[in-house]
Amino acid sequence: MTDVSRPAGVTDNVVGGTAPVAEPGRRRSPLTIAVVTVVVLVLAAAPLFLAPFATTTLTRLLLFGLLAVSLDLLVGVTGLPSLGHAAYFGAGAYAAGWVSVHVTAAIPVPLLAGAAMGAVAAAATGWVAVRSAGVYFLMLTLAIGEILAQLAQSWDSVTGGANGLSGIPAARLGGEPLLNAGYLYWYVLVVGLVAFALVWLLARSPFGAALRGIRDNEPRMRAIGYPTVVYKYAAFVAAGTVAGAAGSLLAAQQRLVTPSDLGFTTAALVLLAVVIGGAGTLWGPVVGAAVVILVRDALGPGLGGHGELLLGIVFVLVVYLLPRGAAGLAGLRPFRRRRP
Amino acid sequence: MTGWVAANLISVLNGLAIGALLFVLAVGLSLVFGMMDVLNLAHGALFVVGAYVAAALTGGSASWGAFLGALGLAAVIGLLAGGLLSVMTEPLRRRSHLDQALLTLGVALIVAELLQILFGDDPLAVPAPPGLDGSTSIFGAAYPTYRLVLIGVGAVLAVGVWLLVERTTLGALVRATVADRDMVAAIGVDNRRVKITVFALGSLLATVAGVLGGPVYGASVGLDSTVLILALVVVVIGGLGSVRGALVGALVIGQIESLGRALLPDLASFVLFGALALVLVVRPRGLFGGRSGATA
Amino acid sequence: MAEFTLSRRTLLTLFGAAAATPVLAACGSSVGGGSTGSTGDDATGPVKVGLVIPQSGVYAALGTDMQRGWDLWLSQHDKKIGGRDVTTIVADEGENPQSGVPAVQRVLQADQVDVVVGLVNSATALGAAPVVSEAKKLLVVTNAGAADITGKARTPYVWRTSFQNAQVAAAAGPYLAQQNVQGGVFLIAPDYAAGTEVRAGFKAAYEAAGGKIAGEAAPPFGTTQDYQPFLSQIRQSGAGAVFCFFAGAEAVRFVQQYAQFGLKDTVPLYGSGFLTEGGVLTAQGAAAVGVKTSLFYTDRLDNPANRAFVDAYRGAYQAVPTCYSVSTWDAAAVLDRALGKATGLDGDSLSAALDGVGAIDDSPRGSWTFDGQNPRQTMYLRTVEGTPGALYNAVTADLGQKAQV
Repeated sequence: MTDVSRPAGVTDNVVGGTAPVAEPGRRRSPLTIAVVTVVVLVLAAAPLFLAPFATTTLTRLLLFGLLAVSLDLLVGVTGLPSLGHAAYFGAGAYAAGWVSVHVTAAIPVPLLAGAAMGAVAAAATGWVAVRSAGVYFLMLTLAIGEILAQLAQSWDSVTGGANGLSGIPAARLGGEPLLNAGYLYWYVLVVGLVAFALVWLLARSPFGAALRGIRDNEPRMRAIGYPTVVYKYAAFVAAGTVAGAAGSLLAAQQRLVTPSDLGFTTAALVLLAVVIGGAGTLWGPVVGAAVVILVRDALGPGLGGHGELLLGIVFVLVVYLLPRGAAGLAGLRPFRRRRP
Repeated sequence: MTGWVAANLISVLNGLAIGALLFVLAVGLSLVFGMMDVLNLAHGALFVVGAYVAAALTGGSASWGAFLGALGLAAVIGLLAGGLLSVMTEPLRRRSHLDQALLTLGVALIVAELLQILFGDDPLAVPAPPGLDGSTSIFGAAYPTYRLVLIGVGAVLAVGVWLLVERTTLGALVRATVADRDMVAAIGVDNRRVKITVFALGSLLATVAGVLGGPVYGASVGLDSTVLILALVVVVIGGLGSVRGALVGALVIGQIESLGRALLPDLASFVLFGALALVLVVRPRGLFGGRSGATA
Repeated sequence: MAEFTLSRRTLLTLFGAAAATPVLAACGSSVGGGSTGSTGDDATGPVKVGLVIPQSGVYAALGTDMQRGWDLWLSQHDKKIGGRDVTTIVADEGENPQSGVPAVQRVLQADQVDVVVGLVNSATALGAAPVVSEAKKLLVVTNAGAADITGKARTPYVWRTSFQNAQVAAAAGPYLAQQNVQGGVFLIAPDYAAGTEVRAGFKAAYEAAGGKIAGEAAPPFGTTQDYQPFLSQIRQSGAGAVFCFFAGAEAVRFVQQYAQFGLKDTVPLYGSGFLTEGGVLTAQGAAAVGVKTSLFYTDRLDNPANRAFVDAYRGAYQAVPTCYSVSTWDAAAVLDRALGKATGLDGDSLSAALDGVGAIDDSPRGSWTFDGQNPRQTMYLRTVEGTPGALYNAVTADLGQKAQV
């Protein structure tokens, strides 16, 4: 992480002249670098100290965190609130699972298959979605997600229908299956960190600056010659690709993919994770995903059936007690109503 | 052949009944969003509150008293809940729709869980009031009488809401607020009071729809999200913030859920969202989403 | 504003840390040798059971019945299974594998249970199978009915005390063929895996016995509130009877609308037993009277074990037991037999012991045996009788012993 922060700091101002709203050119302070280094080291060392269930939970947390990061590229950076992003996550998971069952589970084949399927699915559906905006975009992506989830439910021969694609073998590295919770965690951590770095670089690039310009004032970007629909489409496909990669991690961890991984509930939870964490910051959504996954997967099963109640209370408390983060939620301006 | 036509005419009729119910459900969501810019994801939970109230009061023995009592109680609960939701969303006024979504979905989860604790896990049925619980013969086939009445009730409510919005002072304020909220505030109208009123009335319609829908849908865990998604689809197809849009959206979805499934049984699982996607591709702001709500 | 950002994150992180504490409390290492169960192999030590059942969501009512079956067996047997003291850890399965599989992982890894019992959702059971297999622990499925669980995706560590979807439906096939239904039978079940298995299972058995399918329909699963389009289809098909599979709220709506649209009096309704089992029957009311279903249990079965079971169950919970209670009760009964003989609590020993338990001759459902890892059991044709508020499934016919199909 430390090595990627410097080039990003440099690229910050590269397009400052053309894009109206480049990020303020902050250089990473030594403190930030130190914090990032410590976080990465702690994450890397975690399985050495944690019990298997904690490691498993942390693994799920990381892969849902990556999904949230990919969605933040749309919500926070580009200003496109998607309620169908789980579709690309699920498509990637099915592809990775299918390849693991029928071809090979050797890393990185399922990962690449998942990312590719995420990209293809996003490319096939995104051109429709990016033509709309705001709540209509929200609903159109919901419709696309639900149609894809229904497809997964109906296409028994490939997806296993509602029973899901089960019997996915453990991911293999150098011929050895990653059965151990710790080794699987490290695989997910490495992929997650690399993918996070890529998204982060993308968001700091001239391309990312243009996306933020579209988010803040699309007509103006169009006026100064940006093909904004193409930019939004590219962001949509990029986000779908990363979501597909996260999906391949889900297939490796859960060893089962079901239509509910694509559906409304997953899509809504991820979107809310982005909101909870603070959209537009990329790493905030990881924290948001962590909160959601901890409540649902780790605490929920032990609450005598009141996991959803706790989740609801957390949502309400977050709204009131944690006012919106400036950097993140400024990005939602286009989503709010603008007056002529 | 005549059998085929008759069966599909019944599906059309049935689509009207479902559409009437959907209109009562969705118009509140549409107005609250179009007017007050609040995306209320607790709307489905309000419907289910109405359904459970109906199940609790009419449970076991159906009587007109119990049914009308349920309607009255649900209306009061709806008014209060809407007022409360309005106050709760007030601090979020200048924040994004996503923050509102987070809050209202949180409320919906809490309400659903409390209902489950209160009324148990089993699905409950709501009997139609006496006299309406039988069947009427239409085109030689039995059709539930209650659903015929539902069409009439939906029509009356639609006219009532239309008159309220188009012909009263409150309605004029509502429409003015949809068009330009700041201007309405500038001429000295207390925005919050208008908001509370609209929110309360919109929520009342949702809980009342829950009672009216009881004999068709029953009351069960998980019904809230199904109903919420249906209402969102109706509102978005019609175009946000317009009574006419909500009515057309409800009638269209009623037919899709009824006639669409009858004509395309193999694609039954796809027709709802397929139709939504189609409408939004052809008209990215819904059928009647003109300027109002367009940039939302 | 910058401070706001910081405080929001800080607060979130603190909240996260607080939430994480109970999870991370059990420290150790996830790297190195596989973790082992808590208890030793001495033949009388305690046994820890993870009861993973739905406590939230649409299946929560089933979870209640399952827990009651389990608790009742324990309370009647001095809280011992196979001579060992039992600790039960209950975890919420939720509605789908996204919550169900982590719940299984939780009891296995955090609570270190020896045996997992429960599971309603088939996808969850299929997702849990590799988890228990790799931990070499036993899973006793007490509801989930997918064929693959004890079929294509079979592992020695997963056994089932309930039923297979197609097994229940297939039992009604020959019976309906014998009735010589004029116009044939119309088949309707939701558009998802269990519905497909039921349609295929019934169709194969019914056609093999000489019946003719008049038509089929697959309403969208979980989102169909109104069955009118499909009821019209049934009417037009000219079928003489309908066989269906619905559960929960869908079962209530389908049975009620079937009556409201006037089909009840003209086209007899048959189905898999879940259509009229438990709480849904109360909600269906008068519309359910006369509906005939196939299932491996009804509380009206007339045998000594069932009479004692129903009395005890009523006494403890003021409710009648369901097939869900019986499957979980029987899970305790088979574990009792297996633990008595097994050499250890690991999955291999228990699986080997289950292989030799023989007939479960004191079950409320009547005597049954494992055939493979799924019950071979008597199926009954049941008819809904009584008056609203006091409806029950009376035994109409014995459909014979059936194994997994």
